[in-house]
Amino acid sequence: MKTVIKTNGLSKTYTNTAVPVKALKNINLEFREGEFTAIVGPSGSGKTTFLNVIGGLDKPTEGSVAIDDVDISSMKESQLFDFRLNHIGFVFQAYNLIPVLTAMENTSFIMLLQKRPKKEMEERAREMLEQVGLSDKMNVRPSQLSGGQQQRVAVARALASKPDFVLADEPTANLDTESAFNLLDIMARLNKEENITLIFSTHDQRVIERARRVITLVDGEVSKDEQFERD
Amino acid sequence: MLLKISWRNIWRNRARSLVIIIAIILGVTGGNFSASVRLGVEQQNFRETVENQVSHIQIHHPEFIANPEARFRIPGGNNKAEEISEHPGVSSVSARTVVEGMAASANMNSGVMIKGVDPESEANTSGLDGLVTEGSYFEQEGRLPPAIVGRELAETLLSDLGSRIVLTFQDINGEMISASFRIEGLFEVSSLAFEKSKLFVRSDHLNELIGDTSAVTEIAVLLSDNDRYREITDELQGLYPESKVRHWADMRPALFYSLEFLNQNLIWLVAIIIMGVSFGLLNTILMSVLERIRELGILMAIGMKKIRLFGMIVLETTMLAAIGGIAGLFSSWALISYLGRRGLDLSGTGGEGMGEFGYASVIYPALEPAFYFQVAVVVFVFAIIAAVYPAWKAIRLVPAEAVREE
Repeated sequence: MKTVIKTNGLSKTYTNTAVPVKALKNINLEFREGEFTAIVGPSGSGKTTFLNVIGGLDKPTEGSVAIDDVDISSMKESQLFDFRLNHIGFVFQAYNLIPVLTAMENTSFIMLLQKRPKKEMEERAREMLEQVGLSDKMNVRPSQLSGGQQQRVAVARALASKPDFVLADEPTANLDTESAFNLLDIMARLNKEENITLIFSTHDQRVIERARRVITLVDGEVSKDEQFERD
Repeated sequence: MLLKISWRNIWRNRARSLVIIIAIILGVTGGNFSASVRLGVEQQNFRETVENQVSHIQIHHPEFIANPEARFRIPGGNNKAEEISEHPGVSSVSARTVVEGMAASANMNSGVMIKGVDPESEANTSGLDGLVTEGSYFEQEGRLPPAIVGRELAETLLSDLGSRIVLTFQDINGEMISASFRIEGLFEVSSLAFEKSKLFVRSDHLNELIGDTSAVTEIAVLLSDNDRYREITDELQGLYPESKVRHWADMRPALFYSLEFLNQNLIWLVAIIIMGVSFGLLNTILMSVLERIRELGILMAIGMKKIRLFGMIVLETTMLAAIGGIAGLFSSWALISYLGRRGLDLSGTGGEGMGEFGYASVIYPALEPAFYFQVAVVVFVFAIIAAVYPAWKAIRLVPAEAVREE
């Protein structure tokens, strides 16, 4: 399996605080195509910073991030916008969706920004909403969906454009247990079926147990990198 | 999709959007209405000045302007009037004998400009017959020749219809002449000064008295097109170099400059109001941006370019402005059209005093169609300006920070 993401000596220090904060320290990791990885660790361990840096939302202070052998850490802001649009899917903690668009329109949104043909866009969005079990909610706006359903639409949106990988920052943090498991099941299934690399951060033990690879961050450093066999 | 999102976004906070839309409607309507009243007053003043008082063009002996006396007559005045009436741009011509004099009743006297006119051509040129509100217009034959007098002058002389008045003036040799006339009709115009200072008699009566039966001291020319007065003035001046040919703008420069000023600057009256409203619009959009920091961050995170985000905010602002602006233009058009037909009667609110300044107490608001277009452009421009700061604020967001905003 090919390497999708490779970090090399990745460090991030925030200097806009009273005391400089070293959020990431010399992280060297590789993520291969189709992996289903959880980034875990206590609050403040650098999980979100790590996802932001490999997702092109933030720049490393030192080191580099290569996506499909392309170094994104030296890209200009406008190049990063394009790169994120065409290569990376995002799922955030909550309120991911555009409130004024329906589930169907939200799912199509990234493909729309990519200027995909309308027919292809609609078919793919419909297919993804079916995959996440929301085929009956296509024309419903986010305010009429539960938190779990909204996150499922966010997952459908992130995967619909077939990105190189999907980053999910604590996607289950605001969900009850049943919704959290349900979302993870969907993510795991889509990871297999679509063969899309999925990396998510969490400190939820229930979620960690579903991941096939678990990377533990402590104080901005990788303390453990474990592989598990899951069904 | 950007249009759809922007349109739906402006209705997320319906009450807030409606408030600003109503503010724009009121701003545009109020601005247009006040502009239309201002313009209506001046246009009315122009119409009355040109159609009832000075006409588009007047021709005199060059000396007559400083010394309005019968000795400064236009050579071949009647022939010239005849020639001018043949001009294709001319609607009608009135050859008058105008002399300065004194009108006296049994009780009072007043300085007046006595205008000897041919009733028919005067009616066609200055519409004097239509201004007569009491009595008749040169219809009666009696022992004394008839005079049409301004109501204000009649009141000054403590006279009324049928009263005898004595006019004193100089003949062509500068000798003083006195003659009695009877008031046949009273005319009214907006300008009380005109009403008080002008008096009309038949030119054949006056000419006989001054000693030249074919005398003409003033040729008044009414054109069929308001815009051709300069061109035809120049043409007539070329034809009659021995006479002084002047157009209404020369004779009433204050009115001319007032109209010019309004035509060029009236839009600023509306623009200032709209500028005030646009601060409200800016505030509305800025609030909506600050409420959506997380959402805007997510849009940028997933790859929506800043230029599109900027465009979305500008679109939201211009949509609000367009709704308010179009509704405001429509409501002001409806209001101005209605009052333009019906008239805005200020006589019950102290408006009767406007006659002292030469204005009518019933105002007919008026606006040119082009003015509505100019206002639409102003609304659009201010909407864009109002959008810039909130849109700039939106694109300055850092996606990684914005997506964590609570």
